[in-house]
Amino acid sequence: MNVMGIVFTNDASLGELTDKRTMASLPFGGRYRQVDWALSNLCAAGVRHVGIISRHNYQSLMNHIGDGEEWGLELEEGGLEFLTPYAMSATHTYRGKLESLNSAMDFLEYGADDELLVMIDSAVLSNINLTDVLNAHVSSGKDVTVVTKSGVCDGKTPVDLALKVENGEVTDMMVDYTAPEGYLASMDIFVLNKKWMMRQVQEMIARDKFHMDRDLVLGGWQRGKVSVNVYEFQGVAMFNETVEAYFRNSLALIDKDVRHDIFHGNHPVFTKVRDRVPTYYGDACDIEDCLVADGCFLEGKAKNSVLFRQITLGEGAEVEDCVIMNDAVIGEGAEIKYAILDKNVTVTPGAKVIGTPRNPIIVKRGEIV
Amino acid sequence: MYFQKKRVIAMLLAGGQGSRLKVLTEKTAKPAVPFGGKYRIIDFPLSNCVNSGIDTVGILTQYQPLELNEYIGNGQPWSLNKTHSCAQVLPPYERHDKKSGWYKGTANAIYQNIDFVDRFDPDYVVILSGDHIYKMDYAAMVAYHEEHNASCTIAVRNVPLEEASRFGILNTNPDNSIYEFEEKPPVPKSTNASMGIYCFNWKVLRDALIADEDDPNSSNDFGKNIIPNLLAAGHKMMAYPFNGYWKDVGTIASLWEANMELLGKNPAFDLRGDERFKIYARNSALPSSFIDSKAKITNSFVAEGSSVYGTVKHSIISVGCTVGEGALVEDSVIMPGVTIEAGAIVRNAILGEDSKVCRNAVVGGAFGPEDKKSISVMSKGAVIEENAVLKPGDLL
Repeated sequence: MNVMGIVFTNDASLGELTDKRTMASLPFGGRYRQVDWALSNLCAAGVRHVGIISRHNYQSLMNHIGDGEEWGLELEEGGLEFLTPYAMSATHTYRGKLESLNSAMDFLEYGADDELLVMIDSAVLSNINLTDVLNAHVSSGKDVTVVTKSGVCDGKTPVDLALKVENGEVTDMMVDYTAPEGYLASMDIFVLNKKWMMRQVQEMIARDKFHMDRDLVLGGWQRGKVSVNVYEFQGVAMFNETVEAYFRNSLALIDKDVRHDIFHGNHPVFTKVRDRVPTYYGDACDIEDCLVADGCFLEGKAKNSVLFRQITLGEGAEVEDCVIMNDAVIGEGAEIKYAILDKNVTVTPGAKVIGTPRNPIIVKRGEIV
Repeated sequence: MYFQKKRVIAMLLAGGQGSRLKVLTEKTAKPAVPFGGKYRIIDFPLSNCVNSGIDTVGILTQYQPLELNEYIGNGQPWSLNKTHSCAQVLPPYERHDKKSGWYKGTANAIYQNIDFVDRFDPDYVVILSGDHIYKMDYAAMVAYHEEHNASCTIAVRNVPLEEASRFGILNTNPDNSIYEFEEKPPVPKSTNASMGIYCFNWKVLRDALIADEDDPNSSNDFGKNIIPNLLAAGHKMMAYPFNGYWKDVGTIASLWEANMELLGKNPAFDLRGDERFKIYARNSALPSSFIDSKAKITNSFVAEGSSVYGTVKHSIISVGCTVGEGALVEDSVIMPGVTIEAGAIVRNAILGEDSKVCRNAVVGGAFGPEDKKSISVMSKGAVIEENAVLKPGDLL
């Protein structure tokens, strides 16, 4: 099977956490960036030609991905390409996925005509076997396969695209809506035939339509022009689309089954190597139910938290229900509860940072508390 | 690889069996033995090369090379896979004139690879060995060598007089020039021990290797033949004093000690330290480690991908290990991929890669009052069955 991948980096939607980065470069799970899941899923399915579409704030992303070596994409043929707006369109940045694909026609043109195209986002994380999805797409004979997850739609949570499936057929679709229970939420992973998609994109743009979910999938389906196959994913899918969800999903990794599924479910998750030393646990440290990355120096207490790389936790400091990103220095006797500390934060000795489960306090990158 | 002239290249002797590491090197060469939670011994000289600006390294392998070769791969973890750099594995090979075959000694290993070195036309060749744990700037040593206009410079460290007879001892003049080399002298005249790190002018070494090969009585060894011969021939040879941490991890006890010396708030050998002098290793794609609510970890290293549910005291837990509920690991080195099941007790031990200690089994114990370092060792993949015991100092 000839397969090409497109990864969307997704714009900032998590407030201060995505001020200076895309959803793709948002750190998650102790030592990863969110894009690692998309790239590892593609890598495990043998996809060796991947384009990354980013509108802005892609510097930290380019730094993270480099030449794609960690995901087997540092190739002479195919490999990895950054499809940034500056390289393609001088006039404006993209309004939607279709518009960005329209600017990436040269990239799509490359390779065989019978190629399949996998489109995957960086806000919904899963460890999914894409070979399975590709096979399901081919045998369905439909135009578009949408990967979905049940149990997400509950009438309160807004989802990008919700689909109702009865007797194997799609009977309803909703876009950007708090769809009721019983609907399947799109995981923003699509499989399509490349040539077909290129034609669709050109026709859509010609009619000034640029929204993938609304215009192509929903619109096309309603007009009877686009046939839709639904693939229901059974594993763990993390919709990190709000700060609250990001925080909840981070702490969900403490659960053994969730952790196993998202990190090992179908294949390993690859990420950029940082060459840190193993984490040192001091004499006074007390670590309970934590996910701990390498390079930390721990002398205080931490409970039910995710600790990223190279964190210094001073004696007598107490961390509970927190996500602490790289290089934080937490002074002696500090107390931190329900908080997300972005990279390079310093918490001075004795300081208190206390949020609530629904509204975790976010400490911005490089701040001193 | 684009061959351009290099000022310095390194040749890393990684072919030794390491027989004093016993069961740990039954299936793997000593340089590939895991160290410090996520490293292997060879990471230290290789990282030192890269950190010293040496980008061309020939690695001489012979004994059990499979794992070592796989680990070195194309040299990517040390950035030695670029257009102008290489980590070239050099195994013994057969040649038309039969002047080849298994490496007869350290000098013969380099002799057989004269062609490799010649391709880079280097001014200096640094000879390293794959069984020492240390951080060293070889560039400073080469600069010292150049400054003193020496033919050969040997790194030395001061050892206690009572231990000096275990080493190759260099007797020097006040200006650090060497006038005598004594291999393991019964009555040492000085305490300058050779660290087995040499810097040679390539032209001098090249001639010496050819002459040595023609001598049927030579054991083709740097310490026994090349160094004494050069000294006898009147070459200027310098001792380069090195004061940093350095440890030969050639024995079970020294390997265990070197691991333990990484621990503590101010460890004898600090791996974190200088960002510009990082030790690089081939990384496994494993998630962060998980520390359970019942875990208790003190004064220990825990590397990536491990899960700890039990008690760990003063130990090294390497990548991908599991320490079960109620298990105790104390004063031990747990190599990658080891499973220690619930209720098991491991003390004063080295557990080889992927070994397994089943439920309630006991490995090792307290050191006896006389027998100070009776370390129990499990080889790669060994299994201790449920409730079984591996006595202190025993090997499995």
